[in-house]
Amino acid sequence: MMGWGGAGAALSGCDLPTTVTLEEGKEDVVSYLMPEEYVIPGVGVWYASTCTQCAAACGTHGRVREGRVLKMEGNPVSPLNKGKLCMMGQAGVQGHYHPDRITEPQIRKNGSLTRVSWDQAFATIQEKVGAAGEKVAWFTGSISGHQKVLLDNHLGALGSNNHFVHEVLNTAVWQAVSKDMLGDASPNLRIDKSDLVLSFGADFLGTWMSSPVHFATQYAKFRTKKERGMLVQIEPKMTLTGGSADWWLPSKPGSEGLIALALANELITTYSKDTTALSDETVALIKQNDVASVAKATGMSAEQIKKLAALAARKKNVLALAGAPVEGHTNGYAAVSAIMVLNVLLGSVGKTIESGGAFPFAQLQARSGNSGDLLRFTEAAKASKLDVVFFHGSNPVYSAPNSVGMEAALKNVGLKVAISQFNNETTAMADVILPESSYLEDWGTHVGSHQAEQNVIGMQQPLMEKLYENTKGLGDVLLALLKQAKQAEYGQYADYYAYLRHAFSSMPASYKSDPASDEHSWNNVLANGVINVETTDQPLSVAKVALSAPAISADDSQYPLHLVPSGRLGLWDGRHANLPWLQEAPDQISKVVWDSWAELHPNTAKKLGIKSGNIIKVQSKQGEVKLKAVLLKSTHPDVIAIPMGQGHTEYGRYATGLGVNPLKILATETESKTGELAMYATRVKVSKTNDDDVVVKMGSSDTQMGRKFVVTVPVAQVRRTEGV
Amino acid sequence: MSLSNVLNNWSEFRKGAEEGGHHKYEHKWAMAINLDLCIGCNACSTACYAENNLAVVGKERFEKGQAMHWLRVERYWDQSEKEFPEQGASYLPMMCQQCNSATCEPVCPVAATYHTPDGLNAQVYNRCIGSRYCSNNCPFRVRYFNFYSYYESSWPEPLHMQLNPDLTVRDKGVMEKCTFCIQRIRTAKDKAKMEDRKVIDGEFQTACAQACPTSAIVFGDSMDENSQVSQLWKKHEVKMGLYKQNKTEPQKRGYRIFEELNVDPSIMYLERVREEA
Repeated sequence: MMGWGGAGAALSGCDLPTTVTLEEGKEDVVSYLMPEEYVIPGVGVWYASTCTQCAAACGTHGRVREGRVLKMEGNPVSPLNKGKLCMMGQAGVQGHYHPDRITEPQIRKNGSLTRVSWDQAFATIQEKVGAAGEKVAWFTGSISGHQKVLLDNHLGALGSNNHFVHEVLNTAVWQAVSKDMLGDASPNLRIDKSDLVLSFGADFLGTWMSSPVHFATQYAKFRTKKERGMLVQIEPKMTLTGGSADWWLPSKPGSEGLIALALANELITTYSKDTTALSDETVALIKQNDVASVAKATGMSAEQIKKLAALAARKKNVLALAGAPVEGHTNGYAAVSAIMVLNVLLGSVGKTIESGGAFPFAQLQARSGNSGDLLRFTEAAKASKLDVVFFHGSNPVYSAPNSVGMEAALKNVGLKVAISQFNNETTAMADVILPESSYLEDWGTHVGSHQAEQNVIGMQQPLMEKLYENTKGLGDVLLALLKQAKQAEYGQYADYYAYLRHAFSSMPASYKSDPASDEHSWNNVLANGVINVETTDQPLSVAKVALSAPAISADDSQYPLHLVPSGRLGLWDGRHANLPWLQEAPDQISKVVWDSWAELHPNTAKKLGIKSGNIIKVQSKQGEVKLKAVLLKSTHPDVIAIPMGQGHTEYGRYATGLGVNPLKILATETESKTGELAMYATRVKVSKTNDDDVVVKMGSSDTQMGRKFVVTVPVAQVRRTEGV
Repeated sequence: MSLSNVLNNWSEFRKGAEEGGHHKYEHKWAMAINLDLCIGCNACSTACYAENNLAVVGKERFEKGQAMHWLRVERYWDQSEKEFPEQGASYLPMMCQQCNSATCEPVCPVAATYHTPDGLNAQVYNRCIGSRYCSNNCPFRVRYFNFYSYYESSWPEPLHMQLNPDLTVRDKGVMEKCTFCIQRIRTAKDKAKMEDRKVIDGEFQTACAQACPTSAIVFGDSMDENSQVSQLWKKHEVKMGLYKQNKTEPQKRGYRIFEELNVDPSIMYLERVREEA
């Protein structure tokens, strides 16, 4: 492992002609006559940085050989991912070397794009921004660190507070409930300390809370500790996490809150759990929802609910979680609250849900995305309240349901500036397109929205020279924009690196490993990849809130099925659909590659006369999609699940024209308390067409056919032989 | 050569290293994969694509079974009699098992696949003539044939700059498969030799083991008694060189797939555990 972080700085900061990169000096075969001092031909060196493939901010090590970054690994000192990295982190290099990258700034004039210089692009922007003032907006994905500081300062300088933060895969409702009931939106969730994880659709090994590797490392401890942890997953469609459950239970979408109330009822009446931490209204509501009535309303059997309650009562440390299928209904807040009540009743707060403490650099903390901002943005644009909008790290034109009217709303925005590595549906509507450097070419600091017990700031440093001279990182774009607004204040920073370097210098002395040398401390921080942050004590306090009833919305005989737009670890919300490794990696449940499909329970399919491979039409009130059916028992019979991520109309050679985008046909119903888009509330009807298609998937057999490939043994046997 | 001589040599060959068998290994690289920790997330297989210059073949060729995934994660549904898969999915990371008595080796007409002194089943690409007998004979279906020159389509510029220069890009007509990241083994051995020491357990890992978020995959040298992998094999009473294990505790979780075929795989799997409510 490399020990001298400064090499990273030299690598990026140097303006010398490159004699290192073979590709640039093809005719210059003498390059090794003058190798730069940190290059040993044939020897790979690892540099620390931070992954930005999702918002987790995992620490990485990138292997660099002859000036090229080749392979990403996890950084062992990062408490988030402990040396591990998920498939999206692995595929980061493909985004970096992607053949469809934007290489030059472009301006749209009379409908066609023209290449321009950065100066021209900035001049065009400045012309509009100066007049727009408070009508300037930023539309981004989750953002943290010094990029967020600069973004806030940019809006501040213009007197605007229009920062819309959008993530399709978010935990906004859970965080709102957590904030209201526990006083902390992101407490530490200790799966590793739990004996039972009762997960209502929380795909924590996949897309939930956007920290898959962190939760997977916790999961490993959960399964191997003395009292082997048990995972119960209740959800409408099996997620990656559901695939690892000890007990997987299908739930009727929107019914999870009631099931939680029935569990609470059973825990109080049969197992005499203490209700002093709950408000009288909440206890009264629980009393109304006895097992029998909930069983009737939800279709889950009374026996199953009783079994679940017995399990929860028996296990010592329980953690109840709620994910997107629960959050994404009109009753999402009430349902997640009911699930949080289980944590209160079972004494989990303080045991499996711990205080993360207060992060001392609030300005660097993550601003996590939600879907409500997508709707608020569209409203503001429709009302002509936005004149200039900057887009970064989010693709709203792809993600917004048709019924939201995003494209029409954008026509009301005078100037749309997209900062992006790739052309996508949003850049296709932009007036100015700014080519972004890849995360392996850029500087930055990142704070994951979910932190481990040890809080950290992730350091992102370039691992190689820019592939395309005319790309800029987000930090540099922000800095340039700030110089337009406040030259006196920001003129001193030559580039974003200089800004970050200055920011580090002004950190408290306790963050400098070498008090005598700021330079040395900086190099150590870069070599390490993360800055450990000491939080201050901020205990959780359970608030006695009045729970409201998580009512199930009425059935619709015209549209009898529930549409589940499921997220995938891999393509994520569609942002990674252009990475061929991730397209070729089979979906973890259906094993399908390079396509979209609709998951149906075989019993439902039988009723509708649908067979695997039939092209079916899925219609909601807002539109329809046609795609092939895949029959899987891992789906509730009232559900049709279509994974999101495909159906791009504009996203380069690998993603364009592949599959369908289920987000397009979603209804714009909202969660009643938080205003979040109720993504799981859309009702659909399904009909068969006369077409068929081959389901291209990995493996031909779904069963082991009696052969001993994966053997499953009961936990009692392992307790005896291994003492766990 | 007398008949007894042949028979003696043969039975010696069929014995593993622990029983003083034929193989005079310098190292014996092996794995232990804990299926109770495998969550099926594909981190290992994607890491393998990144490390080993695996070609992306696209949908049409995938359909024809021509995908080049040296390491694939199988998903099986058990409990087929039930209405729902109540115990989740059964995931199985499947790659070359580096068999000590590999069925692919004796059928190669040109000895392109052979056994290394490290106990690996190696493939010599520039010796391979593409008969595909080896793949036909492999019970694990983990050998992948280059039906095309994938480099023409799989790495459009500048994607090719990601290619790992420590190993080749294979061309049409050549068989390939998991090597236990032999380039990493090579680097570690060279480094140890230069520093005049033995390879230390854990100083390097295969790409899959390094990526695995739950550390389900453990890689190491089974000749090193103290290595983590040796300890795991010992704990679960699985020995190489046998087609049937003699465990003092038969319910210990370690097992090898297709052990009964006497191929003597170098990968031990640990059974998946489930708790009934």
